[in-house]
Amino acid sequence: MTLYDTRRRKNAIYVSLCYAASVFGLVWLAWILCALIFKGSAGLMPATFTQMTPPPGSAGGLLNAICGSLIMSIAAVALGTPIGILAGTYLAEYGSGSKLAFVVRFINDILLSAPSIVIGLFVYQIVVVPMGHFSALAGMLALAIIVIPVVVRTTEDMLRLVPNQLREASTALGLPKSMVIQRIAYKAARAGLTTGVLLAIARISGETAPLLFTALNNQFFETNVNAPMASLPVVIFQFALSPYADWQRLAWTGALIITMTVLALSITARVLGRQRIKS
Amino acid sequence: MSPTNGAGANRSAKILVKDLNFFYGDSLALKSVNMSVYANSVTAIIGPSGCGKSTLLRVLNRMYDLYPKQRAVGEVLLDGDNILAPSQDVNLLRARVGMVFQKPTPFPMSIHENIAFGIKLYNKVSKSELDGRVEKALRGAALWNEVKDKLHASGLSLSGGQQQRLCIARTVAIEPEVILFDEPCSALDPISTAKVEELIDELKEKYTIAIVTHSMQQAARVSSYTAFMYLGELLEFDETTKMFTSPDKKQTQDYITGRFG
Repeated sequence: MTLYDTRRRKNAIYVSLCYAASVFGLVWLAWILCALIFKGSAGLMPATFTQMTPPPGSAGGLLNAICGSLIMSIAAVALGTPIGILAGTYLAEYGSGSKLAFVVRFINDILLSAPSIVIGLFVYQIVVVPMGHFSALAGMLALAIIVIPVVVRTTEDMLRLVPNQLREASTALGLPKSMVIQRIAYKAARAGLTTGVLLAIARISGETAPLLFTALNNQFFETNVNAPMASLPVVIFQFALSPYADWQRLAWTGALIITMTVLALSITARVLGRQRIKS
Repeated sequence: MSPTNGAGANRSAKILVKDLNFFYGDSLALKSVNMSVYANSVTAIIGPSGCGKSTLLRVLNRMYDLYPKQRAVGEVLLDGDNILAPSQDVNLLRARVGMVFQKPTPFPMSIHENIAFGIKLYNKVSKSELDGRVEKALRGAALWNEVKDKLHASGLSLSGGQQQRLCIARTVAIEPEVILFDEPCSALDPISTAKVEELIDELKEKYTIAIVTHSMQQAARVSSYTAFMYLGELLEFDETTKMFTSPDKKQTQDYITGRFG
């Protein structure tokens, strides 16, 4: 057998191993999706979106949990995005080479991979304990702390992708640095920055642990942020572990709703990301 | 350094570089450079790679200020004022001394906005006046006829040569006094290059121009004065016709005839 034949054979073996590995990974994903769609869609009906979570043994929906999740996620993103973008801008545009930037980046990376239950405990200790009760406010704070490092990281990465020639060219027109960043760098990195925020939303929409310690749960519709608030992940957690069949069915439905939302966000982020590369 | 035969005597120096040293960190990149850039003419700066010609150009609008480890020592007089003085407002300086880069760098916005952007930065203008100035700038850069029907298309949709002329239009739009070109044609095909060179020739009526180029033919075609740099020093500076026919220094002769560099 010639050397070339050996190489061809080796190539064939490695390529088939690669395929096998991808299939192995995708099978689980497909299985999860199928199970979710199969079990979740059974309980998907208009009542899911119009009725409150029921007591055991009666029919109901997930309205309070969906609204709670929406309210807390929106507040967390509204709180975390500006901080994250500003910090990311500092790291990419002002802090390169400085010690402070090095420390901030290091801590941000730790925060990025910190277990969310730790963040939940932290907020429990500094907000829930002094206030004396669980509240949506604490939940928002916990989620915002998860949003910040994601946005910081993507903002820094995306701003670093903006070619330096663009900064020089706008500087050469007499733009002060602040305007180069606001008018040129942000504009060039806009799709990437949006992607970062979408990824952060996707990340927090499934978080359960930090909410268990903070917003807890509420079986009624609640818009007061000073009171406990229901959320999809916590409701899923509680209902899925319960012995009641209708609660379990609602948990599947909730899981399907979250997954589809995250899927839609990820696809949007991908499409936006691709547009950035094209331009 | 002034042209040796005194031919520059009747022209006024728009920019006067005096005993300029430039440092990248600790390494010396320009060694006591003295030269003039004469008003309403084109001055070419030539020399082998790494000789400091782009560095010199980037001192003239203090572009190096963006990078903390770079510094210039000496004097650069623009109409008699030292632009290296700490009191010099760099943004105002850059509005007076525009720059066009090697790689076309349109901003991620429409053709119209690319031009209007710089104008709005320094002037409060009405919409119609703005449109007029955008058109004037595009005409000035010989691009108007090609883009007049798609002013709101992205600047990035243009061809490389058009993008470079857009960048020139953008620079011209804010009405600078000096325009610096840093190898403006090295990314362009010969036809686009010819258009840009033609443009530079027209622009010198109104502006003072300095151009860094790797192409000796380009220097010979567009410039009235040529500076030859080698290893951070300005070896020879004279009228282009003299530089290309009977240079004083042997290195200049060797470089121009292609024996090194």
